[in-house]
Amino acid sequence: MRVPINITVNGEEYHLEVKPNRVLLDVLREDLGLTGTKKGCGLGKCGACTILMDGRPVHSCLLLAAQADRRQITTIEGIAAEEPHPLQAAFVAKGAVQCGFCTPGMINAAKALLDANPNPDEAEIKLAIAGNLCRCTGYNQIVSAIQSCTPSKSDLQAAERGESNE
Amino acid sequence: MSELDIVGKSYPQIDGMQKAMGKTKFVTDLVLPGMLYGRTLRSPYPHAKIKNIDASRAKALAGVKAVVTYADTPGIKFGPRSEDWTIFAGEKARFHGDEVAAVAAIDEDTAEEALELIEVEYEELPFVTDPLEAMQPGAPLVHDDKPGNIAAEFKIEAGDVDLAFKDSHIIYEDRYYLNQVYQAYMEPMGTLAEIDKSGRLTLWTGTQVPNMMRMTYAKALGLSPDNIRVIVPDYGGGFGGKMENNIHLVASILAQKAQAPVKLVNTRYDDFIAGNPRVPMYIDIKLGATKEGLLTGKDVQVVGAAGARLVYAMVIVATACYRVDSLYRFQHVRSKGYTVYTNTVPTACFRGFGNSQMTFVLESALDMIADQLNLDPAELRIKNGIGPNETSIHGWKINSSGLKDCVTQATEKADWQEKRQKKEPLKGIGLSCCNHVSGNRPFAREFDGGAGIVRIGRDGRVTVYHGESDMGQGQKTTFAQIAAERLGVPLEMIHVADVDTDISPFGLGSFASRGTLMGGNGVLAAAKDAFSQLAEVAAEMLEANPADIECRKGKFYAQGTPEKYLPFNEVAAQATFSRHGAPVVGTGFYEPPTVLPDPETKYGNISPAYPFACQIAEVEVDADTGQVTVTNFVGAHDVGRAINPMATEGQIRGGVTQGLGWTLMENMAYENGKIINADFVDYIVPSALDVPDIKPILVEPIEPNGPYGAKGIGEPALNPTMSAITNAIYDATGIRIKELPVSPEKILAELKKKGGM
Repeated sequence: MRVPINITVNGEEYHLEVKPNRVLLDVLREDLGLTGTKKGCGLGKCGACTILMDGRPVHSCLLLAAQADRRQITTIEGIAAEEPHPLQAAFVAKGAVQCGFCTPGMINAAKALLDANPNPDEAEIKLAIAGNLCRCTGYNQIVSAIQSCTPSKSDLQAAERGESNE
Repeated sequence: MSELDIVGKSYPQIDGMQKAMGKTKFVTDLVLPGMLYGRTLRSPYPHAKIKNIDASRAKALAGVKAVVTYADTPGIKFGPRSEDWTIFAGEKARFHGDEVAAVAAIDEDTAEEALELIEVEYEELPFVTDPLEAMQPGAPLVHDDKPGNIAAEFKIEAGDVDLAFKDSHIIYEDRYYLNQVYQAYMEPMGTLAEIDKSGRLTLWTGTQVPNMMRMTYAKALGLSPDNIRVIVPDYGGGFGGKMENNIHLVASILAQKAQAPVKLVNTRYDDFIAGNPRVPMYIDIKLGATKEGLLTGKDVQVVGAAGARLVYAMVIVATACYRVDSLYRFQHVRSKGYTVYTNTVPTACFRGFGNSQMTFVLESALDMIADQLNLDPAELRIKNGIGPNETSIHGWKINSSGLKDCVTQATEKADWQEKRQKKEPLKGIGLSCCNHVSGNRPFAREFDGGAGIVRIGRDGRVTVYHGESDMGQGQKTTFAQIAAERLGVPLEMIHVADVDTDISPFGLGSFASRGTLMGGNGVLAAAKDAFSQLAEVAAEMLEANPADIECRKGKFYAQGTPEKYLPFNEVAAQATFSRHGAPVVGTGFYEPPTVLPDPETKYGNISPAYPFACQIAEVEVDADTGQVTVTNFVGAHDVGRAINPMATEGQIRGGVTQGLGWTLMENMAYENGKIINADFVDYIVPSALDVPDIKPILVEPIEPNGPYGAKGIGEPALNPTMSAITNAIYDATGIRIKELPVSPEKILAELKKKGGM
């Protein structure tokens, strides 16, 4: 049995027929070739598969593709315009990226936070990414990268020039 | 050394933006035309005879292309250290998770469904999971030919320990237990395997040891090593865990049988139960000191669990036995190590490699001694710490040592004196030191250096080839900085190739904190060779002497006349044309001045350089819940020279966080021989909420054997963390933690014993 769905991914509309038990993560990665979204656990506990659905962060490994019918999906491939998104630039410049496997999910979680609350404090940032595990960086630089994209602590221009404030 | 343009500066990872945009193809992202998906059937019992396997129903399922078991393998015994592996369990399964069969199918769902159709008839056998129990007479034997389940023994003795204890003012003695923890790299282990018409195997896999793996797998598959090609794409973390593992061979057998490429990726559950987690250890320590706090003698016994087959546990136990002996000025030491088979997941390398376990024990013991002698723990370390240009008791030549500077700078930054004196209830501050290596001479007997290739094409594009492994730590960027510095070109002109054993140098890989020093020196030597080839061409073009040619910021010029210059790419083009199309290829290697330890005494010099560190943790203990919170953390590290300070600090923060996880939350829990928390729901690793602001301090004494003075940092970043935290807990509560992790239950029980603080 297949379920017809219409989803918009990164601004492009797709009409797909999916198995009812197929999760959105597999559809993104295998059917649409959007491998920027990662599978780290399959249980919604590591956050590597975090995407934005109608602007809100969702674990795509737990979401049935059928539940995404008529929704707007944004993956890491879709958050940059012509230039990298400021969060992407800040993550790179601050050393918030090591192996990079958690990065797409982490950036999506951060983007959802900043879209809803453009000026979060440190505690709010930590809470927003608490469901996204990173085993390389120790989180300090991730928090600092997100902070640098808030108006109060914006040193984004420095970040874009590749300077470190260390 | 002249002024440096690129080394010593904080550059973002050269492939960082690729990763941040989701464009990097990790191992699990790779797809080949006609590719099948593999899944592994694993033993549900810790120890069981396999009486029969009926795969007929699985084979009949539509979409299944191959089902394989031990019968489909060459049946050769093999292993990286001891030949006690087979590709699948043969007569019996030895741990819960042992490979029993595997399926390749057109998609993962079909493969999963097929697994359920394989009928295996088991006969359960008595099992043993604890190494001390496994050594007892009458314990079930994991391997019938290994009496007492002893996989390996290690012994080292120097000086007269018994006499030293007689002369000691105080002696501290206790038993510690270091539990089994999981690397928890974010990308599970996986591989893509393809076999060509001639039978040659290509593996795309995230591995820290591409070349060594190839040698081991060649034996397992009955192939010659040159019939295996290993390509290392970007992969999501390793921390020691991604070395040899049966998963790669299972994929290879599936690809052989199905005659199609097969991608096999562990589910997270499979990765927990059949990865290669840390070696759990019982450690008995006896440590003596004079009234003044000078260490007299040390006697230790280590019993480590290898799990059901030997990966690297024996070398890890040996490391636990004696690496710390070169941290302080020991004169009399004795260690005995037992590596013991158990019916548990095979254990192996995890950041620290045995030294982390023993560092925890030694540094805990030192604080107990400091306490009894009423000495400042920092002072005790400085008093005994090994200094530059000293030779340790086992012959290790310490060229540079920033140990004392690490203690001084860390204590200053953390306001150590003030906080130690100002006692606040349930708040504490603790300190720990460590040493480590930058390469480990006895790990591979043949050699222990590094090599590089630097290729410069017609357009001036520089490609660096190395044989180590970037698991995410930023090694590519470090190597690019070294090559750019030596060639005199901007960093963006350097590209670093993925390791491909058909092309790259035969490197030993990324372990033993060796990448920067060994691989970096190899790249440096290759860059030097390429430079001198280009200098010849530039000299001719500039009508100058080749010895006078310099290059900076991509411009060749003769010494003294920088205004008369040639752009790098013009010289590269001329070099290529004058050689009728041949690129400039510089090669080079680094031979470290190490000494293979004597087989009996272990006297030698295992590394060309030794990094040191001092970390300080501050904690708060909640008397109602038993919860320990790390509120502040300082890590001062002697790194020789930081090639890239931001990346180096990233290693420190990451290592500390992993150590914090081990200390306060992580534990692979067994029940009836099975790991019962094999997922991120029940096995908790630190999240952003658990980590304080970690303040790294880079101490840079400039190591004569390091590339531009650099030493390793990967493992020393974690080694002292556990004891820094537990020493802080002791300072806060008087509770001496002798077993990890520190659960709130333990703290509550101990607080109760102390009369409800």
